Amino acid sequence: MYQLATTGRLCVANLKLLIAGAAILLAGCSANPIYSTTGVVLANYSEDEATPYVMQMSDPQMACALGEGVDPLLYSFKRVTDAPDSTGSLLMLLAGNCMEYRAWDAELRYLRADFRGDVPGAKDAREESKRLYAKTAERRYKSFQRAMAAYEFDPAAEPMECPFLYTEQDELTFLLGLLTGMQAIVNDANSGALAGIPRNIAPQAERAAACIDDAKWGGLPNAIRALVWLLLPDTRPELSPDPWQMLDHSAELGIEKGFRASLALKAVAAETFGRPDKLKEAIAQFADAEATIKVWEDYRLVDEVARGVIQFSSDKYWTKHYGYRTPRSFFGKMSPERQMEDVETMDLDDLL
Amino acid sequence: MFRKSLTALTLAAVAPLASAQSVKLCVFDVIGANGDFYNMVKDYALEMKGHGVDFDLKPYTDEGVAVGDFNAGQCDAVAATDLRTRPFNRFTGTISAVGALPTYDDLKTLLATLAQPKAAPLMKQNGYEVLGIIPAGAGYLFVNDRSIDTAGELAGKRMATLDYQKDAIHMVNFVKATVVPSDITNFAGKFNNGSVDTAYAPAFAYEALELYKGIGDKGGVVDYPLAQLTLQIIARDDVLSDEQAQQSRDVAWAMFPQAMDLIHGQEKAIPEDKWIRIPEKDIRGYQEMFRQNRLEMRDGVNGAPDVYDPKMLGLMSKIRCASNPAASECTAANRE
Repeated sequence: MYQLATTGRLCVANLKLLIAGAAILLAGCSANPIYSTTGVVLANYSEDEATPYVMQMSDPQMACALGEGVDPLLYSFKRVTDAPDSTGSLLMLLAGNCMEYRAWDAELRYLRADFRGDVPGAKDAREESKRLYAKTAERRYKSFQRAMAAYEFDPAAEPMECPFLYTEQDELTFLLGLLTGMQAIVNDANSGALAGIPRNIAPQAERAAACIDDAKWGGLPNAIRALVWLLLPDTRPELSPDPWQMLDHSAELGIEKGFRASLALKAVAAETFGRPDKLKEAIAQFADAEATIKVWEDYRLVDEVARGVIQFSSDKYWTKHYGYRTPRSFFGKMSPERQMEDVETMDLDDLL
Repeated sequence: MFRKSLTALTLAAVAPLASAQSVKLCVFDVIGANGDFYNMVKDYALEMKGHGVDFDLKPYTDEGVAVGDFNAGQCDAVAATDLRTRPFNRFTGTISAVGALPTYDDLKTLLATLAQPKAAPLMKQNGYEVLGIIPAGAGYLFVNDRSIDTAGELAGKRMATLDYQKDAIHMVNFVKATVVPSDITNFAGKFNNGSVDTAYAPAFAYEALELYKGIGDKGGVVDYPLAQLTLQIIARDDVLSDEQAQQSRDVAWAMFPQAMDLIHGQEKAIPEDKWIRIPEKDIRGYQEMFRQNRLEMRDGVNGAPDVYDPKMLGLMSKIRCASNPAASECTAANRE
């Protein structure tokens, strides 16, 4: 009798479980088909069409607005289908750029106020830039994580296994993910460590950058590695070239390739390690290349974003030393003095 | 008459420039201008501008070079860890004495004490003046095997030791471990590739220098502050007036909470299961062991280097006994 009752209760329990399971399954089906299909279509469209289109754009500000506006919508599809990590990583990268542009403005405001001796104004602007850099760092860290997830790459794995990158776009997305991770660390430091970004991204990026063809990508992989060697000399393999030489070489490769991201890294390295000579060189190289460079059309946006970084480095220098940003005709120079010695002049004696 | 008025004019023209003097400050940060400490020094410099001192900062990733440039007159002031600034002021350079400040509360009391105007005479030595002291985090022992959790277990173990840090070398020899001379740029690699068994560093190194690799599955971080590392700003005595120097120390002291936030963040990055907690009884033993060694390094006896300042050791002993009056050292005959 007791046994029968127990069996009965078990049957009822099993039936309930079955019904609950079916309900969950059906609810999933009824809620998702269109959403998940849309998600898949959108993710594929973004990868196949939108990303190549955006990469050819020459307006980083508009691209960053796209990142801020579209990322939450596109990435929300991870609720109904696989997370669109590769496009999500690029969109978040663009959104990070937007926040960085605001932080740059605040930093220049701080430097201007500092130059004219307005201490409260400088403090206010510096605090604002710290908050904005913290947000930038958070976005960039997300972008890094998504890029790693997109290619199922574990940056902490020992020994490291390079990811499978099937297309050129995959290679670039992965490479930019590494660069973005590095930038997140720099942004976090400039925020007063408000964002708390793990600092081991740097050595991880150094190792992972070796997975990418350096010459094909304008020296950017080796520029990343050289920057990390300067930051953490321990990570530099024996018999490897001097990091500054490597940065110089990468910068030249970048100009040849029409993709000057390595020059931007050289400028960042120069600022980080207090090398005004190298900063001057990087800015001048960028400006001088303008007349001759044939920008890699497929990735014009990367070159334009790099231009923004170089322009900001120059503006920072000018604002710190002269109180205003680089005048247009002085881009590539570090001083407002004009070279007028060689200009021929006429004798005015007859007219006086 | 003409000459007089010309002098007056010249003075008037020079005066505004003189009020905003530019002081070249060489700043050490392992990751240069984009480092956390460099950024903190930028905040300090901005505050000081409000007091009429205009600092011009230059980043250095090697503190030996930063101090070298300061010595060579290329900068008027230097911000570096007290491991390197000890020669300029032995009193403040003794803050990092082994085991002398076992808690951050004790460090806080000490730095508050030193920021008082009354402490100003102690901040000047040999033509140099200390313009501020900012915490940089306690040094902890990183081990590749959790069984190394007592000083006795260190015997025979290889320890990465900064080759210019005489007190650390003495301590490593004292516990009968083997000194493996290292510097800031290569100690982590030695620990991570297994060529040493232990290394000591602030928590910052766990993530940034990937010390978790050397720790592996079996190792950990001993939860006992071996020494309190501080960043000290040192200037040639004539660079700032006495009033400005005191204002500078106030500004640096006001940055204590900011620095501690940074340090706590770095210590939190070490997972709970990697910390090796040691029993209270053992801690008491270590405190006495460190104290005996500090006494030796104060007096330069028993082969110990003569590196610690007696006044600072005395002050830190007072602080420890104020926060823990029951400690045996507080009634010992040979107090510091």
